[in-house]
Parts: sequence; structure tokens; C-alpha cells
Amino acid sequence: MSTCTARNILAVLLIGSAFRSAEAQDPRLTNRLDAPTRKALSALIDSARVQGIPVEPLMEKVYQGLAMNADGARIVVAVRSLTHEMGNAHRVLGSVATTDELKAAASAVHAGVPAVELGKMKKQSGLRRSLTLPFTVLADIVSRGVPVQTAANAIRSLVGAGAKDKDISDFQRNVSVDIEKGAQPAAAAETRAKGAVVPTSKAENHEHE
Amino acid sequence: MPDWGRTTLELMVQELQHPVRLDESFDRRVMVRVRRLYAERRRRGIVGWLGAAVNITRRPAWAAALAAGVVAVVSAGIVRGGGHPGTLSTGETIPVQFVLVAPDARSVAVVGDFNNWGLGDTALVAVNHNGVWSVSATVRTGVHRYAFLVNGKQWVADPTAPRAAGDDFGQPSSALVVEGSSQ
Repeated sequence: MSTCTARNILAVLLIGSAFRSAEAQDPRLTNRLDAPTRKALSALIDSARVQGIPVEPLMEKVYQGLAMNADGARIVVAVRSLTHEMGNAHRVLGSVATTDELKAAASAVHAGVPAVELGKMKKQSGLRRSLTLPFTVLADIVSRGVPVQTAANAIRSLVGAGAKDKDISDFQRNVSVDIEKGAQPAAAAETRAKGAVVPTSKAENHEHE
Repeated sequence: MPDWGRTTLELMVQELQHPVRLDESFDRRVMVRVRRLYAERRRRGIVGWLGAAVNITRRPAWAAALAAGVVAVVSAGIVRGGGHPGTLSTGETIPVQFVLVAPDARSVAVVGDFNNWGLGDTALVAVNHNGVWSVSATVRTGVHRYAFLVNGKQWVADPTAPRAAGDDFGQPSSALVVEGSSQ
């Protein structure tokens, strides 16, 4: 057992169950979920914490399920799936990834993007560049029908070219509008990616005009 | 492990497992401390810029009517706080405006990760301005999943915002990325 895992297990022992703490503070969990569901969720969330996966997004998923009137079994499936996706993201992005990056990365994995693609982007972009927005946009365009590899290439090229979050946000908006107007998703993503990044010097000159 | 050690550990675990209950004045007391700290720092000129963080670059875009034929939606999508590079304060909150065009709606609320999907007290209830419903809220920096709840029963994603992948519960939702001042 690694030192890190042992430390995480000890943390769970000492701090107690995150789910049980939430139960004590939020009556929705006890009023709306039956005992077996609560037990399953508690086990899933504690297991995630032992693996070093942030548990806040998992609790948010539980609350979303409750708000949307999902039954206990469905909530457990959703939380298990998210735990798995965040675990995959955590493995490829490493401990430098923030909770938000992991959450966005899990979204991309859920949409069908292989976790290794996300790891490549993280390596390419460097440690300081947050990929929360690029991962969010990646998940979005894949869910709009852009093929996974095309979408990953587009986002990777944008990040690699030094695109700022605003550029990537504009790219997402343009691609979604193009698709709504009837464009082929792949063609929309490829074409918009080519024009998404204005070289910094030109952009600065343009701003001064 | 010797017996005395196990007993001590068990006692510690038992004590730490008790839920921490916060009294009602906790939030108020924390905010008083935060404001005092902020005022002190501002006097020293370290983060005087922070007051400008309310400037939002919002990217509204008008969207098509939904399948139900009831609503068209416009909202935040991706927002950014103002401020100078390199001075992000962790966990800062940014004002975000949520807007939904829903001429026939009787009520509109916004729920999401930022309010623990609370349909009761914590739902953001939008105000109707001739069919344009809007509500502003301060949202913590980060990525959030959210949706509009129309007439208390119809879930509507924000078509101007990125989609949140996976409708785990059979309902659509959107993703909101709130960026900090330094990003």
C-alpha cells in the first residue's frame, strides 16, 4: 500500500464519512433516500476519497438527482459513473489538476473522450494553464455531434496555439450556431478551429485601432 | 498497536465523527471577519482592485424556441470576473446574470451546483420582465452544472451555454464556467 493511499485511508478514518456529515446537515438526504441507497452512496463517496478524488462533485450529483426526482438506484448509478470518470481523469491529469479541471474532464470522459486525450492536452499546455474551460467545451461539442477525434484535435490545436479561454468560448458558440444552422458538426469544428486564434500581436494591434 | 493506543485512536475517531453543527449566526460572523480583512488589505493597497471584480463580460445569445414551444433561453454560459492578472483570490465569487426568455411561463427558477440544487429556499427565483425572466447571483469561481426549472416542473437547459455532458437523470442541464480574476 502506498504512503499516499495509507494517508487517505487514515484521513477517512479520522474525519469520518463525507456523506454522513452531509446527511447530518441536509434533511433531503435522509428524507428522500432510503437506507440502502444512503449506504451505497456513502461507500462510493468514501471510496472516492480514499483514491484522492474530490467528493464535492459527487455530492453535487446526488443533489442534482434529488432535485430531478430520480430514484435512489438511478442516483447511485450516476454517482458510480461519475466516480469512475473522475478516477480516470485523476489518473491521467495527476495531482496537479484542480477539482474544477477534474470535474470538467469527467464531463468530457462521459461524453466519450478517452482520458488519455485529456492527459495529452494537460502535458501540452503546461501545469499553470487551467483546462477547465477547454474540457467543458470539448464535452459540449462532442455532445453536439462532433466526432471525438475531430473535437479533441480542435481543442488541442487551440490550446497549443495559446488560445485564451475567451477564444475557446467563442469557438464553442460559433460551432454550436453553425450546427444549429445545419452544418456538419465535424466541418463546423474543423473550420472554426482554424480561425479561432488571432495571433497575439495582431490582436493587440487591433485593440489599439 | 498497544491497547492504550487503539483506545485513544478509537476515542479520537468517535469524537471526530460527530457532525459539526453551525449556528445560524456563523455565516454572518464569517462575513464580518472577511469584510474586515478585505478592508485592511485594501487600505494596504494589496488587493484594492478587488472592488472592480463585479465587471462581468457576459456573452448573451438568443436561442431557438424549445420543443415544448414555450421558452427560448438566454443566459450566462461563460463569465469572467474583472481584475488584474496574477491576483486571484481562491474561492472568490462573481456576479452572474441568468436570463430566460419564457413569455408563457408562470415561474422560473435556476438551480445548480452553486446552490446545491435546492428547489426550496436556495432556488434563484427569476423575475418576469415582460416574458424575459432574469435573476442575478454571486457564484463561486469554478465549473457548475445548472438548469432552469419552468413552472416548477419543466427542466430546461440553457441553449446559449455549453451542454453538460450526460443527462444522467433524463433531464438536460448546462455547464457554467466562472473564471477568476486572474484567468
